[in-house]
Amino acid sequence: MNIILLLPAIFLLCLVFFIPLLRYFWLSLHAYSVSTGLELIPNGGVNWLRLLEDDRFWITTFQTVRFACVSVSVEVVLAIFIALLLDQKFKGIGIARALTLLPWALPTTIMALCWRWIFNTPNGPIERLISLVSNEPLNILSDPHLAWLATVLADIWKTTPFIALILLAGLQTISKDLYEAFRLEGGGKLQAFFTITLPLLRPYLLISLMFRLAQSFGVFDLIQILTGGGPAGSTESVATYAYINAMRFLDFGYSSTIILGGFIVLLLLSLFAMVFYVYSRKIFISKL
Amino acid sequence: MIRNKFLLIILLLWSLCPFFWQVYTSFCSSESILSPLLNIDNRWTLQNYIQLFTSEPPFWRYLLNSTIVGTTSTVLTLIIALPASYALTRINKVFATGFKLFFFIAALFPYVLLFLSLLEIARALNIGNNLFALSLPYASLSLPLAILLLSAAFNDLPKDLEEAAKIEGLGLFQRLRWILIPLIAPATASTSIIIFLFSWNEYPIALTWISKPELITLPVAIARIAGSSVYSVPYGAYAAATVLGSLPLIIIVLLFQKQIIAGLTQGAVKG
Repeated sequence: MNIILLLPAIFLLCLVFFIPLLRYFWLSLHAYSVSTGLELIPNGGVNWLRLLEDDRFWITTFQTVRFACVSVSVEVVLAIFIALLLDQKFKGIGIARALTLLPWALPTTIMALCWRWIFNTPNGPIERLISLVSNEPLNILSDPHLAWLATVLADIWKTTPFIALILLAGLQTISKDLYEAFRLEGGGKLQAFFTITLPLLRPYLLISLMFRLAQSFGVFDLIQILTGGGPAGSTESVATYAYINAMRFLDFGYSSTIILGGFIVLLLLSLFAMVFYVYSRKIFISKL
Repeated sequence: MIRNKFLLIILLLWSLCPFFWQVYTSFCSSESILSPLLNIDNRWTLQNYIQLFTSEPPFWRYLLNSTIVGTTSTVLTLIIALPASYALTRINKVFATGFKLFFFIAALFPYVLLFLSLLEIARALNIGNNLFALSLPYASLSLPLAILLLSAAFNDLPKDLEEAAKIEGLGLFQRLRWILIPLIAPATASTSIIIFLFSWNEYPIALTWISKPELITLPVAIARIAGSSVYSVPYGAYAAATVLGSLPLIIIVLLFQKQIIAGLTQGAVKG
């Protein structure tokens, strides 16, 4: 009887997760684009061979992984500080927590447009400040390195509060007595942070790391609005590359191959993260 | 303490500054945006907002569309997730753990990668350009998180309670409707708000499913405004659009801060 209640949920999840993945695999083995008249023509592994030789795919994958790793690690470090800061009791802390969460709650397209205006050349506030000291504009969004930094900065702005709140939940499960005992033993505040706070936060760090790494690997809205993948593809992500192949070049077979390829990279990345997690336990325990 | 408050103010400034900048820009006339230091007469204007409301379709239409999608997705998710979460706490432990692991992985999955297949489903079933149909993928994508949060809440209820109701002769549906679901109302509220925010903010699926201008949701509308003229500078209009688009969410976040924070933290603790 109980299993019947679960069936609708399982049916829907199969519809949006399993069937799409199988369908991608099926499409990736076919030529399926405007040039085939939108007919499925089996072409063996041609799509996959093309993917292996497609420099742009590998550059894009590298950029996506770099984006995910850099932004998520900065976010986690910042989030630890923010969580500590929000883990206090005084009047108005609820409002403060809600306000710091605001960037996360806004649609990514809105906040990406906000940042595009801030990074605008020559009318954005940053370029205006630069123009006071130098005659050379930075051209933030047309310089590959600066444009990449801009996407990272906007992502940090948006998702750090989310991680901070998850870590805050972790902080609130740690008994204050532990700190008291540690202080009586003569331990300093910084030491308490490394011997109590950080090890006990590990599960929360793991959850937020896994979630954020997976999500930022699929970064799409932010890139599309802020830089459009440019300049010269330097901020392109796997999702925007797949999107362009499907919706602009109308090559659905190859787009599916890109998506699956990206998915495989993500799986390998998660595997690597798991190994790192197990290894980090050893480091933490040896410190205690 | 003083130092902490100071740091907190810096944090709030960092979080809110981009937004204040938008509010400021949205009231500037285009001349004053281009030359902010000049002293001109028509510095402030409501023109940007007027333009948004007189355009075709008017801007409130997008807010309405997003509200419709957000509400239907939330309701649909709850209808499916509540019984499923209950069932999850009543079946064999091994199966339950297996299902939870599956839901957990599904919740982590970067759903953006599914856009192409979901678009094919929309075409095959001929349900593109329909706001109610859009809630189908949104509900499905929200299910994993919703079920994890709600089953944790069901799990916290004492078992005796349901036994007592059973002895009183209440059927499964009655027990759920009158006893169990009311008791987990706080968790349901947090879950609903998080799903509502997700559906309101979702972009890639809305972008591919909806093409009629009068049906697009707010994030897509913002993206269209952003893409319409990359090299000219109608930034006043952009800013007005982002301010109006953010207002409902700011109100939601301030009203439901407790539920949102509870939902997120529950997700972390139970996950």
